[in-house]
Formats: sequence, structure tokens, C-alpha cells
Amino acid sequence: MTTDVVVVVEPATSSGQTSTASRRAAGRSRGGSWRRLAFGLLGLILTAAVWQLVSYVKGDPVILPSVQRTASTFWEYLSQPYPAVQGKTLWQHALVSGGRILAGWAAGVVIGVAVGGVMASVSFVRHLLDPLIEITRPLPPLAFIPLFIVWFGIGETPKFLLILIGVVPVMIIATVSALDAVPTELVQAGRSLGASPLWALLTVRLRSALPPIITGMRLAMGGAWTSIVAVELIAATSGLGYVINNAGVNLQTPLVLSGILAISVLGIVFDGLLRLLHRFADPTTR
Amino acid sequence: MTLTQGLPVSTAARPAVELIGVKKHFTGRSRRAPKRVALDGFDLTVRPGEFLCLLGPSGCGKSTLLNMLAGFTQPDRGQVLTDGEPVTGPGPDRGVLFQTPMLFPWLTTLDNVLYGPRARHELTAETRRRAVELLETVGLADAHDAFPHELSGGMRHRAAFARVLVNRPRLLLMDEPFGALDAITRVAMQRFLLHLWQREQITIVFVTHDVEEAALLGDRVCVMSGSPGRARAVIEVDLPRPRSIEDTETLEFVQLKRRIREALEDDH
Ligand SMILES: Nc1ncnc2c1ncn2[C@@H]1O[C@H](COP(=O)(O)OP(=O)(O)OP(=O)(O)O)[C@@H](O)[C@H]1O
Ligand SMILES: [Mg+2]
Repeated sequence: MTTDVVVVVEPATSSGQTSTASRRAAGRSRGGSWRRLAFGLLGLILTAAVWQLVSYVKGDPVILPSVQRTASTFWEYLSQPYPAVQGKTLWQHALVSGGRILAGWAAGVVIGVAVGGVMASVSFVRHLLDPLIEITRPLPPLAFIPLFIVWFGIGETPKFLLILIGVVPVMIIATVSALDAVPTELVQAGRSLGASPLWALLTVRLRSALPPIITGMRLAMGGAWTSIVAVELIAATSGLGYVINNAGVNLQTPLVLSGILAISVLGIVFDGLLRLLHRFADPTTR
Repeated sequence: MTLTQGLPVSTAARPAVELIGVKKHFTGRSRRAPKRVALDGFDLTVRPGEFLCLLGPSGCGKSTLLNMLAGFTQPDRGQVLTDGEPVTGPGPDRGVLFQTPMLFPWLTTLDNVLYGPRARHELTAETRRRAVELLETVGLADAHDAFPHELSGGMRHRAAFARVLVNRPRLLLMDEPFGALDAITRVAMQRFLLHLWQREQITIVFVTHDVEEAALLGDRVCVMSGSPGRARAVIEVDLPRPRSIEDTETLEFVQLKRRIREALEDDH
């Protein structure tokens, strides 16, 4: 008599334990990462070469300045204020924009996680807010600019709120879906090991949802950076968005490109920090 | 076929588990959908230190029953008692092992084992020592700092064992714990479980689909009938202990399996 062999594919367990195999298959070997780096660099160099070629063919620095002209402008304004009178250096503009984004983003993350947490646990709140979020989500923050100027004037308040309303729905959706994805059995395991309901909520349910919530934070951060130029259209006298707008009006194309470059560098830095946090929170990706 | 009588219960000892007239139904998703009765009038008594196997067709309410014993859900009617006390909620005195190990993927093996003591704010040097000792017992002495995704399927199950045993439960509730394992690992885990049970003298309620597994492990096998779930027959397994996988070849074992299978297939 043989054993009754039950053929069962290893079932999907908690979020962390499933996808490791596929992640490993994606190639994290040393050779692979060097190759990736090399190709990435090649892509950047090719882009710069095409840029250089087009600017050479056009021969008009207002339409497209050369690479070295842009680079030297960027370098110059790192120490030189813009505008020349009562202006700020690129560093300071970056600091201003970064501060605005961090403030709006951080507040948005806190609000989004709190609201999302309540929505995931109390079903009538979810039914109440779901349509609201669905309606507001596709609206670009740009659409609110005139309204916010009427309501809040032209100070920091409307800028803060514009970034905030871009971040909140993203964080709510990320939080709700992250909490929904936590297997009930994982929480039950915690409870039957002696955790109180609150302790299990914090150390199992929320902890288990943390990696996808951090991914939501990354997405929201990206969204905040993409809206910064529009936000700093509102009677701003500083910030990278202001630099880009103002330099554009004055046909200072190298400076426009420098501002764009600064935004992308800052965006990459912030995203890198959040990726680090994600790696810290999810050991399966280490 | 022996019905519920069994060996004389050791004098004054309270039963480890008592289920009296337990009824549980689930309402459908829509209000008009008919109520689904998962369990109706379920009675069962488990002696202290007994290894009881629950066997039945899919959907007969085995997991529902175990969830009530664990305190995750409450019965609509009837009583669920462990050690003579009604179950009011989950607790560390009843260790639960799920079909998948349900380790916390963000904690190392040792921290997984220490989760219970930490959650109860009872983490002492003594518990820590016990956790390390238990990991040795389950053969994970070298895997303290490994994360669950770095362990094999069988190792994860053993880590889950250690995580439950560190709380010194009086009752182990196991819901098809080896269902997802390959045949070889499964045999190893069965041997491990029997060894553990003989050493620690805990009561075990073990849910399985597998007739052979039930006969090999259990003191008694409770065969359930499908929707609504009831205890159809309780079959005494009078094979000598300690048992091993070789015993499955004997005539007594094959006859026992046939009896269980007949009870399972018997229509009313
Ligand atoms: N949360 C739930 N909501 C609605 N119905 C449920 C729920 N849980 C269980 N049921 C129903 O109760 C019955 C018993 O389910 P249960 O999970 O206890 O079966 P089981 O014996 O464990 O089956 P299996 O061997 O397949 O695991 C089934 O008919 C199932 O559809
Ligand atoms: Mg089940």
C-alpha cells in the first residue's frame, strides 16, 4: 500500500513568501547588475549625443542649447543667484521646492494612511469615501489652482494643499489595497500567539502592509515632483518651478533645462531614499 | 466500528476539549442567498493528552470547527469548552498551526519564535533560552537569523512549530498542516510530530483529508459527514505506539483504513 500522495502546488502564502522565486529569476547576480549599469550609461550617453546633434543642426540656443552650454549654466547658477536681484542660487531654489514637496507629501502620507486604515477596517466608511476618491482621483491638481487662489490667496497654503491633494488619494488607495492583501490567517496567527487585538493590528496587519505602503509613498512622491512646476506657477518667487517658468518667459533655455535637470536629480535622490526604506522593510528584496 | 465510547477516561480528569451541540451557519453574500449551515449539532469530547484526527469531505466544516476552538469565531449555538472553560477568544494556551506556516516574513526565525512572548510582554532570558532550545529540537539550530523566505517548506513548518511550542500550549490545533508538503517531507514531519507529542504530552486536534495520515497519527479518528457537518463516527485506533511509517504495511492497519473509508463513504 503506497502513501496517498497529494500533489499540491505550494499555495500562495503571505505577500512576502510567494514572489521570492520570481524576484530571484529577475537576475540580481553581480554580472547582471554590471551589465545593467553599463547599458543604463550607454542610454544616457546616446541621449546626450542626440541632444548635441540636434542642437548643432538647429544652431539656435533658444530652441535647444548644446550639452556643454546647459552644463555650464547649471554649474554657474549653483553659486549665482537667479534672478540676479534678490534671487537665490539653484541650491536654494531646490531647497525651497524640496521643502514644499516634503511638507505636502508628508502630510498627505499621514492623512492617506490614516484614512486608508479606517477605510480598510470599517466598511461603511469605505462605502462612504470610495466614490469620492474615484471622482477626485483623475483630476489634475492644476485644475484646482484658480479655485485655491480664490480661497487661500497666493501664499504657501495653496501650494501645500495642491501637493497634498495629489498625494492623499494615491496613499489612500495604496493603504487600503495593502491592508486588504494581508491574509487574515497571519493576523490570527499573531492573536493566537497571545497578541492583543491592538498589538496584532500594529505588529502584524500594519507591519505586513508596510512594504506596499512604501511603494505607494514612492508613487506619491513622483506625483508630487511632477506637479511642482504647476504649483510654483502661483505667484512664487522661488523654487525650481519658478526658475523654469521665469526662465522660459525670458527665453533662457539653458536655465530651463538646468531646472529640469535639478528636478530629476532631486526626484531620483528622494526615490532612492524611499527604495532604501523599502528594502529595509521587506527582507525578501534584500 | 466503535462509537464514541473508547477507553475509560482517566478518572477525574476534565476533558481537554468539549463540543456540545455546536451549530454554525454562514450567511451568503446577498441577503436573499440561503444560509449555509456549516455545522449542526456537533458533539465531540477529547481526552487530555489525546491525539484526535478530524476527517471528512471538503466543506464539511473542519476548519470552521478548529476556528471556533482557536477562538477566531464563535458558535451560533452550543458550547465550545477547552479544559472546562468556554472559549471566548484566541489565546496562547491553544497553539494553532495552519495549512501554510504563516510565519512573519519580516522577522528572522528566532524573532518569529519570540513573537508570542514579546506580544505578551513576557520576554525573559529564560524564554529566550527556551526558544533557542526549541529551534534546536526542530532542527533549525543554524537558522536563527534566516528569514522565512530563506527556509525550505519543511523548515518553515518546523519554525512554525517552535513558534507555537514556546508558549507551552495545552492544546495544539492543526488544520491540514502537511497538506502542502511533498510526500517525503510529509513523512518526516509526521514522524517529528509523533515524537513531539509523545515527549510533551499535549492534546492535539488534527484535521486531515488523508485516511492513512489519520490512521497513522490518531488515537481516535472522528469521521465527519458533509453539509451540515456532524460527527458521523468516532473510530478507535488500537494500534500500538510508537508507530512509524512501516506500520502502514501491516494487515491491521489496512483493515483499519478500510473501516475509516467505509465510515467516510457510508451514506447516513
Ligand atoms: N467565511 C465564510 N463565509 C461563508 N461561508 C463559509 C465561510 N467559511 C466557511 N464557509 C462555509 O462553511 C462550510 C464549511 O467550511 P470549512 O472551511 O469549515 O470546510 P472544511 O471542512 O475545512 O473544508 P476543507 O477540507 O476543504 O478545508 C463550507 O460550505 C463553506 O462554504
Ligand atoms: Mg479547511
